[in-house]
Amino acid sequence: MVAAVSVPSQAQTVLRGRLCDPAFVHSALRSSPDTNYSKLKYLVASSVSEACNNSVLLLGPRGCGKAAVVDMVLDDLRKEHPDAISVEIARQLCLEHQLSFSKMASSDDNTEFMIDMLQECGLAHKTILFVLEEFDLFAQGKQRLLYSLLDAMQSLTSQAVVIGVSCRLDADQLLEKRVRSRFSHRKLLFISPSLDDIQWLVEHLLILAKDSGLPAKYITDYNSRLTSIFSDKKFKGCLNSLMDADATTSNILRFLFRAVSYMDMESGFPSIESFLKALSSMQRQPKMDSLQDLSILELYILVCMHRLEDKEQSSYNFTSIMKEYRSIQDAYKTSDKYASTVCFRAFEHLLDRELISFGDNRGRNQALEYRPVKLLISSRELAQSLKLNTTCPVVLQKLFDRERYM
Amino acid sequence: MDLAATPSRSKSKPRSSPAKPVAAPAESRMDLCTPSKPTPRRKSKSTASPAPMSPATRSTVRHSRRLLETPTKAAPEVQVKATPTPTSRGKRAAPSPKTPAQREPKRQKRHPRKRAYYWKVVYDGGEFEVGDDVYVKRREAAESDAEDPEEEECRVCFRTGGGVMVECDACLGGFHLRCVRPPLRRVPEGDWACPYCEVERAGKVAERPRPPEGKRIKRTAREKLLSSDLWAARIESLWREPDGTFWAKVRWYIIPEETAAGRQPHNLRRELYRTNDLGDIEMETILRHCSVMSPKDFRDANDGDDVFYCEYEYDIHWHNFKRLVDIDDELETKEDPNDKPYNAGDDYNSDTDEDSEYDEEEESTSSFSARRNQSHGLAANSRKGRIYGLQKIGIRKIPEHVRCHQKTELEKAKATLLLATLPKSLPCRDKEMEEISIFVKDAICNDQCLGRCLYIHGVPGTGKTMSALAVMRRLRSEFDSGTLRPYCFIEINGLKLASPENIYKVVYEQLSGHRVGWKKALHYLTEHFSGGTKIGKQANQPIILLIDELDLLLTRNQSVLYNILDWPTKPNSNLVVIGIANTMDLPEKLLPRISSRMGIQRLCFGPYSYRQLQEIITSRLKGIDAFEEQAIEFASRKVAAMSGDARRALEICRRAAEFADYRVKQSRQSAQSTASANKGDGVVCMGDIEAAIQEVFQAPHIQVMKNCPKFGKVILVALVHELYKSGLGEVMFDKLATTVSSWCHANRELVPGYDTLVKICCKLGESKIILCEEGSKHKLQKLQLNYPSDDVTFALKESPDLPWLSKYL
Repeated sequence: MVAAVSVPSQAQTVLRGRLCDPAFVHSALRSSPDTNYSKLKYLVASSVSEACNNSVLLLGPRGCGKAAVVDMVLDDLRKEHPDAISVEIARQLCLEHQLSFSKMASSDDNTEFMIDMLQECGLAHKTILFVLEEFDLFAQGKQRLLYSLLDAMQSLTSQAVVIGVSCRLDADQLLEKRVRSRFSHRKLLFISPSLDDIQWLVEHLLILAKDSGLPAKYITDYNSRLTSIFSDKKFKGCLNSLMDADATTSNILRFLFRAVSYMDMESGFPSIESFLKALSSMQRQPKMDSLQDLSILELYILVCMHRLEDKEQSSYNFTSIMKEYRSIQDAYKTSDKYASTVCFRAFEHLLDRELISFGDNRGRNQALEYRPVKLLISSRELAQSLKLNTTCPVVLQKLFDRERYM
Repeated sequence: MDLAATPSRSKSKPRSSPAKPVAAPAESRMDLCTPSKPTPRRKSKSTASPAPMSPATRSTVRHSRRLLETPTKAAPEVQVKATPTPTSRGKRAAPSPKTPAQREPKRQKRHPRKRAYYWKVVYDGGEFEVGDDVYVKRREAAESDAEDPEEEECRVCFRTGGGVMVECDACLGGFHLRCVRPPLRRVPEGDWACPYCEVERAGKVAERPRPPEGKRIKRTAREKLLSSDLWAARIESLWREPDGTFWAKVRWYIIPEETAAGRQPHNLRRELYRTNDLGDIEMETILRHCSVMSPKDFRDANDGDDVFYCEYEYDIHWHNFKRLVDIDDELETKEDPNDKPYNAGDDYNSDTDEDSEYDEEEESTSSFSARRNQSHGLAANSRKGRIYGLQKIGIRKIPEHVRCHQKTELEKAKATLLLATLPKSLPCRDKEMEEISIFVKDAICNDQCLGRCLYIHGVPGTGKTMSALAVMRRLRSEFDSGTLRPYCFIEINGLKLASPENIYKVVYEQLSGHRVGWKKALHYLTEHFSGGTKIGKQANQPIILLIDELDLLLTRNQSVLYNILDWPTKPNSNLVVIGIANTMDLPEKLLPRISSRMGIQRLCFGPYSYRQLQEIITSRLKGIDAFEEQAIEFASRKVAAMSGDARRALEICRRAAEFADYRVKQSRQSAQSTASANKGDGVVCMGDIEAAIQEVFQAPHIQVMKNCPKFGKVILVALVHELYKSGLGEVMFDKLATTVSSWCHANRELVPGYDTLVKICCKLGESKIILCEEGSKHKLQKLQLNYPSDDVTFALKESPDLPWLSKYL
């Protein structure tokens, strides 16, 4: 019995380990010649072996595996040239600069030190790789760092590769023209994978290999279940709706991780339900959820604010909301009439949940009641939540609807 | 690295340190390399050889004799006749360099300031100069050392002379052309291995011809050195002790067997490593000259037996290697201005055959020798006090791929297209360079050097800095040949200064060698140029100040630029300023009082035309057949149309060569079995250039837009739609979301939640396809398109997953 429980959990651990290992996720890249991985590797490897300088920019939206590819390339190259490469990460570089900055004299000393260092390393056949993540942030201000780095690379003796990683597509346009002229304009674009790629990736990640250390019978059972799920229409729809919003690799990984975690431990096999559950947890709408939890009084306040906005009252604060609220209560005589201190508590609560916010940042020392506020949720969302809320009084619904369609 | 500067400390370091710990591995390897010689012999001799005469008594005898011959002080010429005959020298034990070195400090204490230093010494019939490479005796009482054959014997007939000999590149043995079977007509080109070595290489045992009975193989000095019976060293300084003995400080060379890594497969037979180990030896132990050459010289020098190859420096403390910098290059860049007068002044001394004698107390000379040593020892980091343990950098073993790699045509092309490679000639800028050089020469040659100022402008990558530096290099060579007055050249890059004011500091440091704060430096400099107290020793020399990226020296009140440009106008300032910047109208943007001082003489570097670019690229690629003619023309036309930036043109070509190289390598990998290598494959063609240009000039946003998630596309189209409808520059998220959901509703798509939409908007904002405020503003978030709406239309016109989208465009 104990063994039966442990096999699926073992399988779960294996799968989770795979999902968290970028080298495994991107291992497909190693084989084909057209991927960014092999291009980058070729670039770095040739500049190591031919002792030249290079600079390359990796661009693409977040979560496409830019940094993972860089890491893989570095790992591979380290195996090939055991002591020919030393990796300098941007943070270290900054640290080095900062450190000497405070201690010693001036930044030109430091740049000079850097240049010396580059030259020494070049003489020792060592290539220095500068990996500048969030490259766009280095391109702020006078770009002295980049300029001196790229200028130092223009000498024969130095041997360095600058790899800039950025999610801004216009990162190279940010460079000043003289810096840009020194940059060697190699760009590798990372884009999110297509549907076919993702289907392949999912199979690659989830299907267990024969030699993963689990009982063979379990593996065959597991794999056949999985293939039947993959051919299911529901699963395809699930993947599609996931990709409609965000088709990056990291998003897919997050989804699969959840699905694996939701795996039914009783039966020990994955099911379509776990995928659906994972999807719904990926597609949560936090605003709607928090709207669902609001008390009646808070809903009243929101509706009041909405009414005020509809009356084209551009600026309003708590006191004007209270006035509206009182007029409603007077007109309809509902049971939800509260003292203004209670209302103020509810108002503060809404502020904390960021469903409403202050209109401007000025007047911080003003009393809360008099600061202008703004509604952060749209009327559509409000209407939807009122409809879904079962405890919502009919009057409120009517109030909201009436002024909407009048 | 102050070993060179303070001799007493370096002496205490025993010479045996590099040799001893590695003796064992070296020997085991040596069996393989030099089979002709039994190796254990060396060890037993070097350790257990008793000196027949006590060295102390011997040396006293010698120096007393020499004192008779040489006048004590102020002797312009020291000629030491070769007193001992070769045979007697052989019997008399040459002292090992170690023993006197240990005795030395005592003596120095007694006569602290009586050492006399020489540039050049004639000793034992040989003329030894500082900087020469020599053989140094290592073993004591080696009978075979007696004969020192200058000429090598043939390995077959064992006779010297009598025709041309050829050297085997594997065993270094010499062969008469006629003795080799089959006989050779002339010396073969390239590497040649003797028949015996080729047989051995094939794995068989070769029977080498034995010498006739009774005749021993005489070994040349080279063979002895390579089997570690001799040492090689470079003389760093020469002096005479008060007692008359001649000493030399030498920098040792080391053979590959003695390094920690041992002989590596790619080591050449004649390869040596220069060490950072210095030692003091008596001149007595020096045998004769040899020559150790840099790779370039080695390739050119094809004859002589005492030629060695040296590419790396070996650190005996860290046991690692470092490439040697090209010495000529080094001197040119590193030489400080205050070195120059000294060199110039002493040229006549060292040119003639007499020895210049100088005292160590003299400040300038000691600083000179220290600097000289330093520039050799440190090579890279020249600034004093900022070493930071840089010498630890070095490689344990020289990687094989750098030595044994045969470059293909494409790789050669890539190497020459590197921005870093200094081209041999600079085409297309002759006129401008001429102008600069006339300007500078005018300024220098005029006796009352009127301060002047030249402003050079042009877009990036048009060769401004390069031309200016080339002119200065040319002037320097003119100065070296003696046709030009001495001058002082200071180069400053505005972008490398921490703040504009630091320029005073840098200039002052270059002139005087001292570091002060910028205010003080400004004070001194102003005084210097207005004719007050001068800085430095060569105060009256004209100073040429080259300021790159001049526009970065702009401060709010422009005082820095004003000061710098005001100095030349002062009488007797002797200052020439050359400013380089990108903007054409920089003088006009400045205050009138500055532009009137700067804007008179200007030089414009126009962007290169396509013909010029083509010429630049072809001149670099001369002799390398890797590019199609049209490909170069296409690239240069394209770049000339865009910017005329030579850097960019070179980069494009290099990138294209990379593409081609990548393609070739891939196809070679895949088609190893088919082996149908295309001849035209190894050439950069139009397609590669096209691809490279695509990469450089095309922004990637269209491709990213095409690969957006579905809702991202809808949002983009809705954004374009809303912007068009409203005619405003930006749109509120609320409005956008309403549009998106109504569209989705109408086209039977799943209606996305608002929070999903916010998330997608933020993602698009991150890659700057749209500009948006932070997501916490939610409904009130303002959105803006970062690229022209036509690009969106173009990218999303037909998207297979959203066919309905095109009707809203």
